[in-house]
Parts: sequence; structure tokens; C-alpha cells
Amino acid sequence: MRIQVAPDACTGCRLCRQICTIEKFGETNPRRARLTIEAQFPVPGKYVPHVCDQCGDCAEVCPSGAISRRADGVYVVDGELCSTCGVCFDACPHGVLMKGEDDVPYKCDFCWACTEVCNTGALVRAE
Amino acid sequence: MTVLIKAGGMLTDYLKPDVDAFTRRVEGPDGATLRQLLESIGVPPGHVAMAFANGGLVTLGYTPRDGDVITLRPPVQGG
Amino acid sequence: MVKGFGGSTLRIDLSTGTVARAPLDPAFARAWLGGRGFVAKVIYDEVPRGADPLGPENRLVVTPGVLSGHFAPSGSKCCFGAVSPLSNGHGDSTVGGHFGPELKFAGYDLIVFTGIAPSPVYLFIDDDRVELRDASRYWGQGTMDAEKMFKEDLGEDFEIACIGPAGENLVTFACIGHDYGRQAGRCGIGAVMGSKRLKAIAVRGTRALAVHDLPALKKSTMEIIKRTAQHPNMAPWQKYGTAMFVGWSNEHGVYPTHNFQTTYFERFAGIDGQPLVDRLLVSNKACFGCWMNCGKYSKVLLPGREAVYVEGPEYETGSLCGGNCGFDQIEQVAYVNWLCDRAGIDTMTGGGMASFAMECYEKGLISREQLEGHEMRWGSIEDFEHWVDMLVHRRGIGDAFARGYAAAAAAIGGGAERLTCQVKGQGMSGYDGRGAPAMLLSYMTADIGAHHNRAWTITMDEDLGKNVIRGKAKVVVYLQHIRPFFDTVSCCRLFWGEVDVTAEEHIDALRMMTGWDDYTLDEAMRLSDRLWNLNRAHFLERNGGPGRRFDYPNARFYEEAVPSGPSEGARLTMDDLDVMLDEYYVARGWGKDGNPSREVLLDLGLDACVANLERAGLLGGLMEPLPPVRGERYKPKAF
Repeated sequence: MRIQVAPDACTGCRLCRQICTIEKFGETNPRRARLTIEAQFPVPGKYVPHVCDQCGDCAEVCPSGAISRRADGVYVVDGELCSTCGVCFDACPHGVLMKGEDDVPYKCDFCWACTEVCNTGALVRAE
Repeated sequence: MTVLIKAGGMLTDYLKPDVDAFTRRVEGPDGATLRQLLESIGVPPGHVAMAFANGGLVTLGYTPRDGDVITLRPPVQGG
Repeated sequence: MVKGFGGSTLRIDLSTGTVARAPLDPAFARAWLGGRGFVAKVIYDEVPRGADPLGPENRLVVTPGVLSGHFAPSGSKCCFGAVSPLSNGHGDSTVGGHFGPELKFAGYDLIVFTGIAPSPVYLFIDDDRVELRDASRYWGQGTMDAEKMFKEDLGEDFEIACIGPAGENLVTFACIGHDYGRQAGRCGIGAVMGSKRLKAIAVRGTRALAVHDLPALKKSTMEIIKRTAQHPNMAPWQKYGTAMFVGWSNEHGVYPTHNFQTTYFERFAGIDGQPLVDRLLVSNKACFGCWMNCGKYSKVLLPGREAVYVEGPEYETGSLCGGNCGFDQIEQVAYVNWLCDRAGIDTMTGGGMASFAMECYEKGLISREQLEGHEMRWGSIEDFEHWVDMLVHRRGIGDAFARGYAAAAAAIGGGAERLTCQVKGQGMSGYDGRGAPAMLLSYMTADIGAHHNRAWTITMDEDLGKNVIRGKAKVVVYLQHIRPFFDTVSCCRLFWGEVDVTAEEHIDALRMMTGWDDYTLDEAMRLSDRLWNLNRAHFLERNGGPGRRFDYPNARFYEEAVPSGPSEGARLTMDDLDVMLDEYYVARGWGKDGNPSREVLLDLGLDACVANLERAGLLGGLMEPLPPVRGERYKPKAF
């Protein structure tokens, strides 16, 4: 499973970022979302969503073993094991490993809320 | 030809949808214009602000083809 | 702390450079709701009646509104208001995009600017950090260039609202730009901002919004998203935006053509929604939290010029800068859109003013000499471009145009006044009222001067009969209650207008955000009525009266018949206008002179207005017994 991205269909509405924080943090604060929308304006005038594809690069560089792979392929963070060394953030090729207020990373775990709210086809739950 | 016609707002009453809340399956002779088709099913063409065939803007003079999905806009509520 | 709101207000004195923060008063929030409600109350209470709109005592009010930032149908808007340099009365204009939400995330519901900065500044807001900073490096830049510079300097995640050179140079119909192509366009609020030497507001906010019942709000909005995604109106809207109305407007004989000389433009096929989508479209562009994504971001290649990028042209630009100026190619209209956006000019009054200049030139009322050797021909990009340059830099006759329709007509002479298509100084929207009399009444009676956002009536006009004059005023009054409601809560009215999200559903969302369980649509409609009367009182107190004498358009609309197209022969007389106004004032509970009555003002709790108007001899005499809620009772069946 993955979040399939069609950037040409993205309108920059940020509903995905709104629902992400509502779903995962129970609050309305899109800045803390686990995906980003890059706005390429004024030229060429496109929006590009950046989402987690569970590549595992963050887990690979973590010296504490705090990021591990679940049976369903989703990489999750165990805050208890995290030493807040911060090495993982630069390892993320999409810039979607987020730093929490306690400096512990948090990330997308494929809850699919963004794909449910997006109705332009920019974010789709796919095989 | 057989087409699907969708409409919301005040056009729904005229359209009498049968496929879902907004959609009616309509049969008509090949070569009929959209205006003629609408008249044949009791939808007043004068109440149609705009029409789209498969997503593209068309006029009421458009000749629907078998399988087309026609969307009708009811009178405009404005910008 | 009022849930749903940001929580704080800012008061900025630009003359002294001081910034003061205060908590939002919950009673004030409940009473005036936000958006244009906050604007109306603040400027009525604070701006001295004789103050120059471009002087230090005018207020610039910025307010995001309660729905902004929330997970709700298009909670995206921000209202900018002041005493307008066009009408010399209440002015407000609302912009979409992402600015309002960012102010909410930073924690602000209201910013009031007073004074004039000694040199160009911008307001920097980063959550609690609020500073006035030097803007000299941005001053003189076009709106899109300035926005790009601010984002490069401060961070991509800052939202920017800024003026262009037109606002800096106090062109009275200057606008405020945001998000590379959205504007708070009307009422010349950009000129007020420029008069204060305020180039921009840059804001970043990182806080969560306080919501009374987020799970309920989430559930309700998800249902609305799913339901409206299937609505037949949604897909065409997402594809074409309002540009698709160009063809419709021509077919219904209300499309302004050649400065409203006629109402049908034969060559409209080249400037409709389809050519936009086929030839210009780069991306669909949405406001915050909106899935209707009406914005169309376009790349424009005009022969002999470098590519430009612009959001648009949407309908108003596609009409007032389209057939109204004689442009028949979508590339031309989009280029003109870009010229206006970059300079920071309202494309509506801008397009109308340009077409007025074109007609004056056509009739020999302006000479090539006055145009610095250039012409001002219908459909000429070079002429339009040069005219904008003269306007923005206020050279020669450009200065007269910059001062507005009355000043331009006075400078031009030769009876030019009859050709100024405006009411109270504000250019008409892209619909000619001779094809739709109630639309003309809407222009005549709108509190901010001619603008369709208060009441849009063309379909009702046709339903009741395009030639029918009587019986339409009450529909206008109803619309003037319901449409401004969306500006007060700062969301887009198109969900109500286009895909059947009801006003009650918006009230439900408001309750879920604020916890005001007893808030009703009735209360909101009474607020609309209250604001309407407050703004009328404000206008009269500043301009004198009786109100009726300000409520007429230029002579074109009651002396000329439409010469061609589907409305050919349509003609309104002064008697027709008077019949409509009489009916309107009765429906409002005003006197025949167009002045609000004591009874209505007291009923709405506007005691201060009673005192002020009475002192000035401007109270009207109630003509009929007072109905309980004046506007809502006229709700037509179609709603």
C-alpha cells in the first residue's frame, strides 16, 4: 500500500494537512502535518505534495533503533528509544520526517485520512 | 443513443433522476440535439444555464453520442 | 478566550510605531462576529466623520473571521476594511487564499492600523512576535514580485498580503494582493494601506485553533465534502471556475460590452471558460480548505511579449476587462489581468475605468495629446498598458483617473459623467442592469457602492420577468441579508450558492467551533440587518443626505436602450428606478428619502446612529408598520 501522488491534480487547498493533524493530534494545526505541500509560485505555478513512502531511510540511520518497520511495511517511531540525536531528519529524502516539540520525530503511519479528504485525485490510496 | 444526464438544484424536479440522486438514463434518436432531447423528457431548455458533455462546455445545439455523460447547470446563483 | 477565534487583537499606531496587544473581548466577538462585522463597528466608532480616507485618522482594519483556518467549507477568507476613498463611506473587501487562516494560527482576530508611518514599513507577525519593519527594499515592487521577495527573505511558510505601486501612489481603486493572484479588490482599501505607507503584512502562525467540538466538526465537514463532491455543479466548477459564466452572461444579454454601451459581445467565444482551460491553464488553485478550487492559474503567451503568470481571468475580469474593453482573445484578457494584479489595481473598477477611457477616446473627449501621444482603442493591449502606466504613476490625465470616476469625468468634461458606470464611485460588476433591473437596484443600494457581492439577482430577474420592475426589491433585501453573512464569518459563499450547503449548516459549524449553542440563523440575519443600517448611517453622517440622492447610477442606465443582443431594446426610465427605490425603502423600514427610520435603528440597538442622524437632520420617516425581521421574511421559495 502507498499514497499515490498526482501533483498535477493538487490545488494547494491543504485539506490533507488539516485532516492529518485533526486525525493524529486531535487539533486543527496544519503546520504539524506529516506531509507537505510545496508551492512552486509564481513559476511554474504548481503544487507538489511530499508524502512518506515508507522507504526506511530514517530507520537505517537511527543509531538507537528507535525507528522500526511494522509487519504492514509502515515505519514507526518509538519515542522511548529515541535519543533525540536528530540524525534521521536529514536522511528523509522527502522532508516529511517531522520534529516534535520534544525533539522526537513523528511521521506518517498510513492512516489514509488525507486520501479520504482529497477529492481532486492528488492523493490516492493505492496498492 | 443512450446517455446519462445529471443535474442538481431546481432542475432535479424536472429531470426525475432514476440512476442516483442526480442522474437519469435517457434514450433518444441518433442525431437529436441536446435541446430536443431535453424537451422530449420534460426538462425546459430555458432553465438550463450551461451544459457539459463529458466535462466539456457545450451548447444546447450539441448532438449527444451514445454513452455521453451530460451535466446540466440549473439557473445560476451568481458569483 | 473565545473558542473558534484566534484570541488576540492588535492595535498598531504607524505614526509612533507602537504595537499594542489585547485579548479579544468575547462580547464584542458575539455581537459583531468578525469579518466585515468587525470592520463596520470599528470604523463607525473610531474614524472621525470629517477624516480624509487617505489621511492619518482613517483606520485600516484587518480581520480573518471565525471560520478561517477551521476544517469547514472554505474557511479561508480575510476581510480588509476602512472608510473607502471611492465612496467616502464604509468600505470592505474580502480576499481568499491562505492569509486569514495564518492570522488565526498566529492567534489574531483583529488588527487596527492608525496613523501614517514616516517611511515605508511592513508588519511582521510570527506568533507572538509582532514588529514593524523597514519596507524600503520592497517599496515600488509589483505585488507578485514583492510577495516573492518577502517569502525569500522571511521563509516560504509566511503568508503575505501586500500592495503594489498603485496602492503606494494612492490610486483610489487600488487593491491588496495575496497568494500570487488573489485580491481584496474593491473599495480602494489598497489606497488606504498605501496612504499609511504600509507595504505589506507578513504572518506565520504555529498554534492550534481552539475548537469547542472538533470530532463533531470533523464528522460534519467530512459528510459535506463527500456529499458536495457528487453534486453535478461541482465538477464544472472545479474545471472552469467562474470563467464559464462569460458565455452564459452573453446569452442572457447582461454582459458589459464597450463600457456598458451594449450587453452582448459577439466575439465572446474567444474569452470564455473553454479557451482558458485549453490555452492558458497551468493549475487549478484553491483557497485554504476549499475543494471547489475555482482558481485558475494561467501561463500567458502574448506575441511579442514574455510569458506572464496570473491567477485568472475569473468572470469579473473576463467581463470588465474582456468584452467591456473589446478584447476577444483569452490571452489578451489574461495579460490585462496580470497588468492590473501586478500594479495592484482592482480589475473590476480598473477594467471599467479603462473602458470609460476608451469610450471617451472614441467620442473625441480625450485626445492623443492627453494620452502622451498614445491612443486608447478598444481591444488594444499597447494602449491599455500605457494607460495603466499613466494611471499608476499619476501622470497627466492618469492622475484624474486615479482620483476616481467623478474626478475623471470632471477633468474630461463634455458630458463624460453619463458614461461613468458606477454607483457611489465604485465601478459596477460585470452585469448590465438593463438586462436585469433588480441587479441595477442591487448596485444602487449596496452599502459600498456598486458591487454584486451584496446581492446577485439575475436569475431571479429572469424568473420574474426581465422587464418586470415591481416586486423585486424584497428579493434584493433578502439577498443583502444572506450573502453578507458569509463575509461576516469569513468563508466563501459559493458552497451555499453552488452546491447546496445551507446557511443552517454554516451556523452548525459556527456552533461547533465556538460552543455558542444558542446561536441561530435569526441572530445572524439580524446582524446583517444591523450592519446594513450601521453602514448606511455611517455613509450619511460622512456624506450628508438624503440617502436617496446617492442611490442612482449614471444616466446611461436610465436614458439609453440596449442596442443589440438578447436584451436589445431593454430600457429603464428614471420612473422605473424610483419605483424600485420606493419599494426598497419600504422593505428596509426607511423613509422615502432613503434615510433609516428611528424605529428600525432602535429595533436593531443602533442608538448611537439615532443620536448622530437626528443631530444631522437625517432620520427618515417610517412609511409602513415595522415587520419583525425585515429581510428574512422576504426569503423567496427558491432558497
